[in-house]
Amino acid sequence: MILEANNIDKHFLQPQSHHVLKNVSLKINQGELVSLYGESGSGKSSLLYILSTLDTSFSGNLKILGQETKNLSQKELTQFRNKHIGFVYQFHYLLPEFSVLQNIILPAQKLGAKKMNDLKKDAVDLLEELGIAEFVNYPSHKLSGGQQQRVAIARALINDPQIIIADEPTGNLDEKNSAIIFKTLKEIAEKRNNTVLMATHNPNFYNNSHRAIEMINGTLRL
Amino acid sequence: MSKQSLNKTNLSIAIQYLVARKKQSVLAIIGVLLGVTTFIVMINFMSGVNDFLDNAVFKGNPDIVIKPTSKQNTAQQSYGFQLTNLEGLEEINRQLREHTNVTAYANQTISPAILVSNSQQLPGSVNGIFPIEEKNMVDLDKRLIAGKGFDNLTEKNILMGVSLAKKLQVSVNDTIKIILPNGKNTTLTVSGIFSFGITTIDNVRTYISAKTLQHLLGRSEIITHVNVKLKDRDNLDVKTLLLKKLKSIEIEDWKQNNKTIVVGNKVRDILTWSVSFALLLVAGFGIYNIQNSTVIHKRKDIAVLKTIGYTSEDIIFIFLIQAIIIGLIGAFLALGVGYLISFFISITPLDTSDFIIVDTYPINFSKNHFAIGFLFGVLTTILSGYFPSRKASKVDPVTIIRGV
Repeated sequence: MILEANNIDKHFLQPQSHHVLKNVSLKINQGELVSLYGESGSGKSSLLYILSTLDTSFSGNLKILGQETKNLSQKELTQFRNKHIGFVYQFHYLLPEFSVLQNIILPAQKLGAKKMNDLKKDAVDLLEELGIAEFVNYPSHKLSGGQQQRVAIARALINDPQIIIADEPTGNLDEKNSAIIFKTLKEIAEKRNNTVLMATHNPNFYNNSHRAIEMINGTLRL
Repeated sequence: MSKQSLNKTNLSIAIQYLVARKKQSVLAIIGVLLGVTTFIVMINFMSGVNDFLDNAVFKGNPDIVIKPTSKQNTAQQSYGFQLTNLEGLEEINRQLREHTNVTAYANQTISPAILVSNSQQLPGSVNGIFPIEEKNMVDLDKRLIAGKGFDNLTEKNILMGVSLAKKLQVSVNDTIKIILPNGKNTTLTVSGIFSFGITTIDNVRTYISAKTLQHLLGRSEIITHVNVKLKDRDNLDVKTLLLKKLKSIEIEDWKQNNKTIVVGNKVRDILTWSVSFALLLVAGFGIYNIQNSTVIHKRKDIAVLKTIGYTSEDIIFIFLIQAIIIGLIGAFLALGVGYLISFFISITPLDTSDFIIVDTYPINFSKNHFAIGFLFGVLTTILSGYFPSRKASKVDPVTIIRGV
């Protein structure tokens, strides 16, 4: 068991009181590609931010890699994310002044486990896998949307985290680029044996995942 | 801030941000540069003026002067002119010797006199001094323009201020005649000419041997004044003590005689600090503004840095170090610019007033001024960078990332 959530409950108080997650429980195994789908506002993103440890204001229990996250301080959570969790968002969130390479190695520099030369090699390897190795020294803002999203995936993978969390990673992309991203995420699960948890609206994607979970009004339909 | 956040990665991110907005960074650096430069130049100049006046006025004049009470003077003046001997001299000297706040004292006989040179005749006064005592009071050697100082003052010599010498049209080795109120006169050789840089001394002061004067007066023991130098000028305990013990004396202190200079020094100090502070405050606000707008514009970057493993401390460091770099560069440049401007002021000719006699503006190139300016500049930037940095560290990644 890589991730185990029990009775996750969350209320939004602003702008108006809203019961966004109602007693959600979920278990995810290693190497799984799990898709969350459902209408906008059904609570997919809220659940993902809680499962990724970014949002800590909820009730219930969350265990990742055997670690009860409630027992960790904010600083420990940050370090935990750095090491074990990779993120891909709907928007790429690259640092525009930084080169593709610099963006990718940001989490690894923070982790500080490898030397610069090894990091560069890792980054180039990832970019090759993603088919954009020639852009390694470009400023990130010069790349197209699809390319930037692939750089964001490389950044999420640089520390080889056990869990990848993706919040509508293809939401801003055309069909062709979307397909590339989905293929990449699926390979991450199958080849690297990492766990991918993804929110998506695309039926092609959730139907081709290992497991698809529909979210309705803050509850999971398992 | 923990040591972990003081690392190369954070530093390189910070530098990347600075380089990405060159214009703003340069403007911020100029702001600090102006503030610190102004501070350095102003404090160099103001303290130069203060030191100059201090040097001229306080080093040339005693801190306190002991003389007979004016009551005695007026009583005796009805008999015609007669100098009043200072009573209780031995007691005064003993007290001064024993007092810890007294660094030196010198007995003097001062008499009005008419100074006569070959071409001019001027009313003035002569200070009869004991060279060995007077040496400890006034560092005349540093102020000699021509001739020799106290060490070579014989009973046949006279030393005088440069302006007085000009008026009398005499130079070293010329002779002048002094005529005392009792009609006695003698001819003396000018052995030295000095300049203190202020007219109140250079226009009037003469030194002759006390023995010569006493001999002319026909009163071999007469002493009219005792001059005293203090260790701590503001501590006037010795004045109170002497006035309590002796009824026949009167004591003038430096505060009474040089009040305007003391007030002037204070005004200059206040001016320097307030103007510099105001300028640095403006520079600080500039940095605050720039950093603040950066934090607002870079909220997404900050949010994503937080999600991928950068702690709040890292974020504070990344933004604070930007301000510190701006401060360091600005303050460092200001050291050079401040020095250059101070140097140019120090070689600028100055029209002498009635009071001061100098060739160029006085500048005090103290290392401390540069150090304080540097420190002041860097501290301002740290302070003004801190609040935006803290704001940055409080960015909530969920709110920002979900908000798009």
